[in-house]
Amino acid sequence: MLKFLARTTALAAMIAVSLPAHAETLKMWGPEQITEPLVAQLWNGIKVDFEKANPGVTVEFMPPTGTISNGAVQAAIQSDAGPDVILTNSGIGRISVVKNAKQVVPLTEQYEKRGWKDEIYPWLYTELKGQFGGEIYEVPDGLDALGIWYHKDLFAQAGWKMPATWAEFETLMKAIEETGLQPIAIGPRTPGSAGHLFGNLLQSASGKEVIGKALRREIAFDDPSVAAGAVRLQKLIEAGYIKKEMAGLDLDGASRLWFNKRAAMFVAGPWFTANARKAGYDLANAGYAPMPSDIKGADIPTGGVGWSWLVPVNSKQPELAMKWIDFMLSDAVMKKRAQDPASTMIYPREIPGVEPPTPVLKDIFAAAAGGVGYNPSVYLPGPVLDTYFQVIQGLISGQIGGEDGMKQIQAKMAEAK
Amino acid sequence: MAGHTGGTSARMSKRRVAGSGSADGDAGTAFWLMAPALTLYAVFTLLPIAATFWLSFNSSAGFNTSARFVGLDNYAKAAQDPIVWKSLVHTFLWLAYHVVMAGGLGLLLALAVSRLRVTQVFFRTAFFLPHLVSLAVVGVIWANIYDPFFGLLNTALTRIGLGAFTRGWLSDPALVLFSVNVASSWQGFGLYMLLFIAGLQNIDHSLYDAAEVDGANAFQKLIYVTLPGLREVTTFVVSLAMINGLKGFATVFVMTNGGPFYQSELITTYIYRLAFQSQDHGLAAVLCILLSLLALAITIVFNRWRARLSQ
Repeated sequence: MLKFLARTTALAAMIAVSLPAHAETLKMWGPEQITEPLVAQLWNGIKVDFEKANPGVTVEFMPPTGTISNGAVQAAIQSDAGPDVILTNSGIGRISVVKNAKQVVPLTEQYEKRGWKDEIYPWLYTELKGQFGGEIYEVPDGLDALGIWYHKDLFAQAGWKMPATWAEFETLMKAIEETGLQPIAIGPRTPGSAGHLFGNLLQSASGKEVIGKALRREIAFDDPSVAAGAVRLQKLIEAGYIKKEMAGLDLDGASRLWFNKRAAMFVAGPWFTANARKAGYDLANAGYAPMPSDIKGADIPTGGVGWSWLVPVNSKQPELAMKWIDFMLSDAVMKKRAQDPASTMIYPREIPGVEPPTPVLKDIFAAAAGGVGYNPSVYLPGPVLDTYFQVIQGLISGQIGGEDGMKQIQAKMAEAK
Repeated sequence: MAGHTGGTSARMSKRRVAGSGSADGDAGTAFWLMAPALTLYAVFTLLPIAATFWLSFNSSAGFNTSARFVGLDNYAKAAQDPIVWKSLVHTFLWLAYHVVMAGGLGLLLALAVSRLRVTQVFFRTAFFLPHLVSLAVVGVIWANIYDPFFGLLNTALTRIGLGAFTRGWLSDPALVLFSVNVASSWQGFGLYMLLFIAGLQNIDHSLYDAAEVDGANAFQKLIYVTLPGLREVTTFVVSLAMINGLKGFATVFVMTNGGPFYQSELITTYIYRLAFQSQDHGLAAVLCILLSLLALAITIVFNRWRARLSQ
């Protein structure tokens, strides 16, 4: 009997030792392309590293099914069965949606306490601090830099070059159109795709400063100095350089047009490398350049915070969520991600000595080295965004003019005050 | 037989009369038996309806603590919102398209298929198959069919020399709602076809024989025998098609998300946009009530029409 008791006690002790003291599960949502083997490999590696660094913790990836734009994040949080930490397409416009609904935790205190403040570019921290009266609700994971992607081989064969001025750019579009190719593809059924080209056009026509002022409500969107980009889009549609039929395309449809070389140009950010890989496109053939502009200093990519970490108010493991963010901001993880072939973004701080894994990413990093302009899709207040995207669809389908469209956006801006 | 039935009911009445307490007991038992169903109904139907009413009088913040009572503000906002009116018109159009296209196609195919002898089962199955595909998948399939550059429709039109008819099926403001409805109707017609086939089988064949004796041709037989014989099924199909039409959401959401520039916006898609994208739960709740009232109005009008038809 004693022997039996001793054996049972020893077995129980062994089990207790082998089991972690506090078994915890961190439910994490994102990233978008985790179904791609290369991306999955990277993220599963990060998961294993985190679990090693935090004995007893299991990271569980929830199915990556959406963003704030399509309501999936809000629905997941509201269900109370959502993740503990979320990686999502962000930007002040989208964050304001979940912030106003009190669905995410303010993280300002953590920036000081955990040193996140020093883990991102100082200008980025300043920008985040200025968005919601000093309160910060997100931790940037990646920045966007939207510019023109083109086929190097097509351009070389035809003797085309990415021009420096808008007039030359129009001439280039005319030349491309005359060959029977679509000069530029856009898929405005997907909000992001609509905003990428339109943001580029606004900045090219008005400059970064003017667009910044419009976003800060210092100038009205229907002011001619801001509306110029929308009028440009209207003219491109009227000239047939952008086909009205494209209003029926989504991001995939427009990408397909570009990947199949039926369109010469496409506006996208560094994340497009993932779409290119998926489509089997040779990334060595992809060229990248900012939208030409006649305004000095305006020929830079548009962008902003592209991806951010959020902590839902109903996170079951808020402290573990903070630890996860600490981990993601660490040098080791940041370097691992930046050098990985699955890398698709600009990181929120400078990572010295890291060579981008693809040539086109190198071009994008170089173009964005001097900073990026504003992609209004991620800066506009949430209630204005829908109108903004619909106006772009209206412009492309020829239902409204540039000035009318900007009036509608301005009316929503006034309402959203 | 009648006496036997009468005897049974008499015995049952006697049993009830014998002890009034047991009648109460029956009622009590019935209540407890119904309690789970009533609870489920209250939790999943009555409570959400009440919550929707409550939300419609509150600010847009939804279920969080900052929601505040705003009276009829959301109703006023809805009345002044041009997209609400636009989506209302689109919802009626959508409904009409669905009833005519899905119901009409169902009837036509039922008439065609019911004449077949050997291959009827094959065609019935083949035509019913789209109904088994989810609307979201149907949306993806048809969005690709409509792709202006690579899509099957424009490519086929070009190949057969009808290139002049190629269109931006999802970008043309005048066409988009119709185009999306075609996809939705394609998914729905199979069920209506089966219902019409069942209706056709119930028509007394001697009526056709009599019509033939009277010298009626095929068209006259259709008008004077088949269609009147399908009256009951037709009203059922129309009511079903209207319910399905009012629920129209998935194909629009997948194929156009209400665009371009709100040209395919339905009340349902606008509700989703407001509630889940803009988090404007108050206005979304008002539209839910509007949609319910719409369904109620349609039901009343339809039932009156059906009653008049059957008189």
